[in-house]
Amino acid sequence: MKVHVDGIEVELPAGTSAIDAVFSAGGDVPYFCAHKYLSPLGACRMCLVESGSPRKNPDGSFVMEGEGDAATPKIFWFPKPMASCTMQATEGMHIRTAKTSEVVAKAQAGMMEFTLLNHPLDCPTCDKGGACELQDRAFEYGYGASRFGFDRRHAEKHYPLSDFVILDQERCIHCKRCVRYFEEVPGQEVLDFIERGGHTFIDTEEGGLPTGFSGNITDICPVGALLDNVARFRGRNWEYDHTPTTCTLCPVGCSITVDARNGRLERIVAGENRDVNEAWICDAGRFGHPFASEERLTTPLVRNEDGALIPATWDEAITAINRGLLGLPLADLGLFVGADATLEEGAALAALADALNARHVDHFPRHSVFIAPTATLTDVATADAVVVLGADLGEEAPVLELRILEMLRGGLLPAEFAHGTAIADLRLVERPARRPERLAVIGGESRLWGHAGHRVSANGENALTRLAHPDTDDLKAVRALLDGAERPVLILGADALRGASGSAAALLADLASRTGAKVIAIPAGPNSNGLAALNLVPRTGGLGVDRLGEVPAAFISRLDPGMRAGGFTVVHDTHLTATAQLADVVLPAVTNYEKRGTVQNLEGRLLPLNPAAIQSGEAADLIRTLTALAEALGVKAPARGQRGAQTLLMGSVGVNTATVQVGGALHTFARTFVAPAAPHTPKLWTERMRSRDRDWVERIHDLVEGGWTLPVAPAAPQPGGDD
Amino acid sequence: MSYFAEKQPLVADIFSRYPDSPQGRRSALMPLLREVQDAEGFVSESRMAEIAALCGTTATEVRSVISFYSTYHTLPTGKYHLQVCSTLMCALAGSDELWDHLVETLDVQPGEVSADGRFSVQKVECLGSCGTAPMMQINDDGYYENVGPSKCARILQSLRQDLQPLPDNPVPVTVGADGRQVLATGQAIGSSVTGLHRLPEQAGGEA
Repeated sequence: MKVHVDGIEVELPAGTSAIDAVFSAGGDVPYFCAHKYLSPLGACRMCLVESGSPRKNPDGSFVMEGEGDAATPKIFWFPKPMASCTMQATEGMHIRTAKTSEVVAKAQAGMMEFTLLNHPLDCPTCDKGGACELQDRAFEYGYGASRFGFDRRHAEKHYPLSDFVILDQERCIHCKRCVRYFEEVPGQEVLDFIERGGHTFIDTEEGGLPTGFSGNITDICPVGALLDNVARFRGRNWEYDHTPTTCTLCPVGCSITVDARNGRLERIVAGENRDVNEAWICDAGRFGHPFASEERLTTPLVRNEDGALIPATWDEAITAINRGLLGLPLADLGLFVGADATLEEGAALAALADALNARHVDHFPRHSVFIAPTATLTDVATADAVVVLGADLGEEAPVLELRILEMLRGGLLPAEFAHGTAIADLRLVERPARRPERLAVIGGESRLWGHAGHRVSANGENALTRLAHPDTDDLKAVRALLDGAERPVLILGADALRGASGSAAALLADLASRTGAKVIAIPAGPNSNGLAALNLVPRTGGLGVDRLGEVPAAFISRLDPGMRAGGFTVVHDTHLTATAQLADVVLPAVTNYEKRGTVQNLEGRLLPLNPAAIQSGEAADLIRTLTALAEALGVKAPARGQRGAQTLLMGSVGVNTATVQVGGALHTFARTFVAPAAPHTPKLWTERMRSRDRDWVERIHDLVEGGWTLPVAPAAPQPGGDD
Repeated sequence: MSYFAEKQPLVADIFSRYPDSPQGRRSALMPLLREVQDAEGFVSESRMAEIAALCGTTATEVRSVISFYSTYHTLPTGKYHLQVCSTLMCALAGSDELWDHLVETLDVQPGEVSADGRFSVQKVECLGSCGTAPMMQINDDGYYENVGPSKCARILQSLRQDLQPLPDNPVPVTVGADGRQVLATGQAIGSSVTGLHRLPEQAGGEA
């Protein structure tokens, strides 16, 4: 299909919208209401273009214009500008944008003037300022002046829709993105327009927004109407250091951008990864970041003679570890790590364990069985049947839930062009018809329960066995759904995998091969899939982290079992956790927001982590901490930094993580290590992820009452600067 | 306390007018709202939630629809809901004075009900009776036209004794349950006279 945009001819697939035709031709059209992953609506009328098409005579030949060889098909123009986001481009269509058409330029400037009639001029105090679609487009396409000399609309400026989202009703331009988002993506009709005309505002009648995925509306709001309350008034957009990285709160591995200012993590916004999270992230990933900049450990702590943990230098900590472990056989030192460590860190730890001949090696949480993923998240979204076994996706992998809901809407993935994801994919419609009969949920009740056509209340642990040998009519219906589907996907959650053994894996493999189902077993930890490829499980005669108390001495990195080892205990963590408070030496760790490295998500995709500019004092990642531990033990550290760890990883599992691209790449490790594991109940939100602002209010009050001066500005220059 | 629990035949009748699908159920929203408002004078939040549950939608959606139409009320209305036309023609003929008089003598503001529970007032846009301005409509009963000071006093006097005078004109066009527009005389008008067809699969139905 050939389309002419401002005289440039482009070749496009049938069904492309006119707005994507313009962008494909390298042109530009302003728009507010269209969104890549939402249905096009034509609400804002900013994407106006002039368009026309050739017309055919009754005999099938084109109506021509001109004489002889110079004759070309005559273009019949629409009499008025058209909204390009809801118009389908057709063969031979001609489109004129503001670049070549006075009419369009004037129409867009006029629409801009209308949109700005009631928009307050509070850009200087608006969090969106500097990253605001309305601001940018007003500058590019507006008159630059308003002829409206009357009072603007006045409405509620600080209307909390929930604890996390604040609505400024004056700023709203009624693009309806948030309304459509809730209806189309998480399937919750909780927002809508109230009143009409100039009085229209957004509100909910449900007493607040449901937690789960509500924060995404702050990303898609084209103006500063819906704001992230955790990051509100924390900085201007041009002051933030933007770091694109991967969220490691759960095994989905969503693309995020971490915004830090003056060394503090202030905001997290969703990044786009078409294969993983599209453009959505969960509320925990977006709002659960205050811990990264609150109450962090910034220096090592060493327990003194009085039994108190006091700040120390790394050298003092190394000396203390050396003394504490004196006389202990190196092989008796337990090495334990949290399952959100990167692959590089895991490789460094595995190599150190090899060098020490350590037996007590473990990572937590993990399942006692490893089931290699055969389905990708795109497979889930485009499946024709999904069976979820014993999973509470809200706690285990929230965005997987969104991809399942996408499957219920027909699994229409927006097309991709050279300019990115289609801005308006005309196949996406408002109030899409859903196919709940394609989803079966077996296990306990969860948020997904309400969307499922087949619901079987079952004890998650034997759900798989019961599905393989259905004993009730409900289960037989689910089995029939699996058998009848062409692209079925099985999703196993923590309940189904708890206590699972090799026989369960064999049963699953058998079921998958019989039904042709692809499988995703949700890993227990964010990087459990990757760490399973490294020998980080108890070795012969070794004890797991669940029997920490019996281990003679231990080094515990970013794990909080709430107990200490039998003897000398070194804890490496970001905060003074319950475990750290029991330790002999505490070493400061960095969060995953500050790491460079690689993790593998639940579908086996290697995803890169990039370090955000967050102040963390002398904190170190696991690789550098292990060099300190090696020094204390008097052995040579297998890796001294990221490069060395990458080399180790290359040697042990044959993956070059230095070349992992932004969007990640699927990878299957040849070998995996499993061992019996303690049961674990996944929990997405931890207490520390909630904002502690109220504590601060009290603390500041205490300080003021106590005659202290407030810590307004640190005396020393801060890394990160105040650019 | 549920409004529709005791009225299952009515609910079934309303739903039978629409396709038996999730989208069809949502379409029953308007008649359900009208039913509640006719009975109670307004649609309270609990009724919104009840209707939302019936239609398979959310209370937000119901409120959105209610708030779009100025003829649905979310606050209680009086036994006599006086709707004063305030568009240009009536305004020129004195509807502002009529409004001020009503608000003063009845001691109600929009959104309020007078102490005796009889009166509530609302300014409405043009009711299409400009030749007889100023005018007002009481409930859905009909038009009271050329409402000058003395006529207004007479109407209020009778209403206070619950003797509602006959309207000068009934509401010009109403839509019957069968979807046809009819004049007060019962004469069918509009495109519904010829434009409504019996659906083929519903042979025997009233169309």
